[in-house]
Amino acid sequence: MTEPSEISRRIAEELAACGVGLVASLPDNWITGVMDAIERNNQLTHVPVNREESAVGLCSGAYFGGIGAAALMGASGFMTSIYAITKINYTYEVPLLIVITLRGTFGDHHKHHVSNGLYLEPVLDAIDLPYLIVDRPDELHRIGEAYRHSRTFSRPVVVALTRSLLKGGHQP
Amino acid sequence: MRYRDCFAHLASRQTDQFVVTSAGNSGQIWWDVTRDHERVFYLDASMSLSTMFASGIAMGHPERQVWAFMGDGAFCMNPGMLMVERQMNLPNLVHFLVSNRRYGATSNAALPNQAANDYAAIARGMGLARVFEFASLEALESGLDAALDGADGHTFVVLEVEPLSDAEQKLPQPPMDGPELKYLFGRHVERSTGVKIFDHAL
Repeated sequence: MTEPSEISRRIAEELAACGVGLVASLPDNWITGVMDAIERNNQLTHVPVNREESAVGLCSGAYFGGIGAAALMGASGFMTSIYAITKINYTYEVPLLIVITLRGTFGDHHKHHVSNGLYLEPVLDAIDLPYLIVDRPDELHRIGEAYRHSRTFSRPVVVALTRSLLKGGHQP
Repeated sequence: MRYRDCFAHLASRQTDQFVVTSAGNSGQIWWDVTRDHERVFYLDASMSLSTMFASGIAMGHPERQVWAFMGDGAFCMNPGMLMVERQMNLPNLVHFLVSNRRYGATSNAALPNQAANDYAAIARGMGLARVFEFASLEALESGLDAALDGADGHTFVVLEVEPLSDAEQKLPQPPMDGPELKYLFGRHVERSTGVKIFDHAL
């Protein structure tokens, strides 16, 4: 099993390698290690934000600064950001890589994420937001694939990270 | 001070600054005053995110000042943005809070706690050091130079204006579609800074 700290470091490296220079984030318990790794990566500027919509705004503006950007957040934070994503990124066709946690699925023992298990993927489908799920270390290269697709597609693309990837296996 | 007079003075002082307007009246009045369709991104499709958007632009163009307008209606939806702005402390970002004490874009509907909101105090409470307030055109004319000299860090400017009249509310919005705005503004940024936006290597 690959250690969670190693996964976090590789996620940060994958972001930097694909052209991301700015990461705006708000935590979720599963990604605090990723945030630490991003903070330590000297190729990335890390900006902790007050709410997930601010990450969407900041990263979308960075596109016009010529800076590749990614918004990192939990599934619940993503669900609160639908307004910002559809208004800014859909209206103006601004690319954005959004990295989220895939909460509420098998192995997530938190009852308050049941709503994400029920509605996260249906909401992504409802707004025609392309997404891919990264569940294994050998799939981490798909983060770069998603970033490049967002640039081609001129809209946001979501990468959803699973618990087994981030925390190293399912809870009993 | 009248909203349009305030913006006309600011526009008269614009040189090479990039401008971002917000949902609400700011895009409408900036368009009425300037008819500019290159140096400004009319971020009408967004409540409370114009300064975050402008911060991203400012990060990439540290040599260029970025003016971001936001109504106090939008500000009330996300005042925590000032924490992020303070943390980033971008010296080339000027956040203009246009305070008309109304939801201006929705027929001047009432704003919560409108009489007591002290936006400058809120900003100072979040640690902002460069905070300016202008409630009259004369004060703006005499004090704007100091506000725009942002060498020491991020700047927050409160502009107390009158709500738009019924006739002013009917002024046209900028007529560009979203993708058109993206390319008009983005191509201007590319031409004027040399930074490539639309041809990233894939």
